[in-house]
Amino acid sequence: MGLKKYAAVQADDCILNVQWAGDHLCVTPVTGAILVVDKEGEITSALPDHGLGNGASSATPDLVATCGFDGRVRFHSLPACEQVAEVKLGRSVIERVVWSPDGQHLAVGFGKNLLILDRKGETVATFGEHQTSVTDAAWNPKNAREVASVSGGGARMWRLGATEPFAKFDWGGASLSVAWSPDGRWLVTGDQTASVHLYDFNRDYPLHIQGYETKVKAMAFSPDGKKLATGGSPMVTVWDCTPKNGPEGSTPGQLQFHQGDVEAIAWSPDGKYLATGDILGRLVLSANDKPVSAFQGENNITSLAWNPDGTLLAVGDGDGLVVVFQAV
Amino acid sequence: MATEDTRVPVTILTGFLGAGKTTLLNRILTEEHGLRIAVIENEFGEIGIDHELVINTDEELFEMNNGCICCTVRGDLIRILGNLMKRRDKFDHILIETTGLADPGPVVQTFFADEEMQDKLKVNAVVTLVDAKHILLHIDDSEEAKEQIAFADVIILNKSDLVTPAELDSLERRIRGMNALAKIHRTTNAQLPIANVLDVGGFNLDRAMELDPHFLEEEDDEHDHSHCDHEHGHCEHDHDHSDCDHEHGDCKHEEHHHHHHHHHDETVTSVALEHVGDCDGEKLNAWLSELLRTKGQDIFRTKGIVAVRNNPKRIVFQGVHMIMNAADGGPWGERQRKSVLVFIGRHLDRAELTKAFQACTL
Repeated sequence: MGLKKYAAVQADDCILNVQWAGDHLCVTPVTGAILVVDKEGEITSALPDHGLGNGASSATPDLVATCGFDGRVRFHSLPACEQVAEVKLGRSVIERVVWSPDGQHLAVGFGKNLLILDRKGETVATFGEHQTSVTDAAWNPKNAREVASVSGGGARMWRLGATEPFAKFDWGGASLSVAWSPDGRWLVTGDQTASVHLYDFNRDYPLHIQGYETKVKAMAFSPDGKKLATGGSPMVTVWDCTPKNGPEGSTPGQLQFHQGDVEAIAWSPDGKYLATGDILGRLVLSANDKPVSAFQGENNITSLAWNPDGTLLAVGDGDGLVVVFQAV
Repeated sequence: MATEDTRVPVTILTGFLGAGKTTLLNRILTEEHGLRIAVIENEFGEIGIDHELVINTDEELFEMNNGCICCTVRGDLIRILGNLMKRRDKFDHILIETTGLADPGPVVQTFFADEEMQDKLKVNAVVTLVDAKHILLHIDDSEEAKEQIAFADVIILNKSDLVTPAELDSLERRIRGMNALAKIHRTTNAQLPIANVLDVGGFNLDRAMELDPHFLEEEDDEHDHSHCDHEHGHCEHDHDHSDCDHEHGDCKHEEHHHHHHHHHDETVTSVALEHVGDCDGEKLNAWLSELLRTKGQDIFRTKGIVAVRNNPKRIVFQGVHMIMNAADGGPWGERQRKSVLVFIGRHLDRAELTKAFQACTL
């Protein structure tokens, strides 16, 4: 498979994240308007920013939620892009919001609590209190009523309707991000130190993976949940999660396709291809641990997203440019 | 040649409740100084300024290296500043307000222990506001108040109109005994030139020549230290600090756990050492490494300018707890070769430090 430039759009600032919502792409820069773009690269709407900085947005096919330093969450309908709700949660920074897989609930890390909002912006659950601010959340792809939160070193797994976490693990550091494997078995946290924690729900067991040269800035499970790709340094590490004990004691695949630190990773929806982007602007598409295609951009790649059918790959960079590639 | 330093300066503003932080911050945010300054304040702090450039976070500490207090940093700052540093439209300055009860150590350490923070930001100064009237009520039993004074590059004795000149002199002497290096300003309503807060360079090795000469005169009147001042600006090193750079002691010791809070008998003092002539670089390096490894917990700040045998250039360094940075400070030229070290900390044994330092001199 090769990549062909298909469309492009320019946002005001460094791209924080790109996410597909059906046929539309939601482009969130660190400052300035959040763009809703069609797949031809035409801006459908420019949604209002969140003051001094935006947090990472989240989109379902019919609703996009935005957040930021102003302590607000806004809901806009798609594709009409009309504001349907706005919630001012307080003064604290909101770093990201995440929709549940069924698109019914939004997870918001706000201060020391994980808030769950419904589609109207009403708070339906408050999970807390965490010891420190909730930095990220991830929903169980297999169960839209289960969500994990990370804060200072560890994770809490919550079920809607309950007040206590049904699972948790702790360690003495701090977590930056979290992802839940598509098969529901694993939860991975990327840490402030150069490590990840991989929690096995089957065994109620957190595996501490060290040996990274840098902080792990990007993590992605393959769509079948069998592989976990992590990046942060120029080397992309791919862990095999299929053994009984997962990657414990195993040697990972180490992909050395980049010269610069890899800060964005995305698997194609069919799991065949891994897209990786580095801070020197190089995009590499690989299959079975071998590069199949590459593209050199001008700026650091900050975010990658495949559209649902895997025909388009959106690539956001540090200068606010989003290029949509077509898989050919 | 060093490349241009594009790192954004960060000023850390500490001080007890009521010392005047809000007044000072409001001035900095509203006065016309031509700088675009983002302020990061604690969500649960006492300030709560409603301003578009104010960001609220929750002070969030974590230990980078299992249990070592000297590696305790602010996770919220790493994330929020990481986001701010991605902006195209960079700020000229970042001001971080800590709560009155916060130890400034972790805020400072964040900018030395985290690689990304170190690459993109540089600490300008720790600025501590002191309520001249009320500080004496808690200076003896508040570890935080002592730490805020000990860490400071600038101490603002605010509300100085509420005490007599004699009381103010006495307070200043007391503070000077704790922190020999800080610049002390007496103010009312936190009125002072903004540059005294935002342009300090307290951690800047290029400006390390500004070790306060008055302090040494007070410490030891028989020396004339006037010639050690204010030669700076030609430090074109490329930050190749060889084995001096980021010296970091062994952090695995049990005694490094943070158990010193709420002891009432611990005093904070400054010890300055001087030697006219050269030092043995290897011995000095070995001693300082060992000292900071074993006593770094109690040593808040270290600064020095040293003359190393056979080295035509001055070596300047500064440290925060166990973390130390050194650089070449330009040629000695016509200046008298001599070494000055200053430690600010708890339990400093002046005699022991002097003896150990003398063993490194030639």
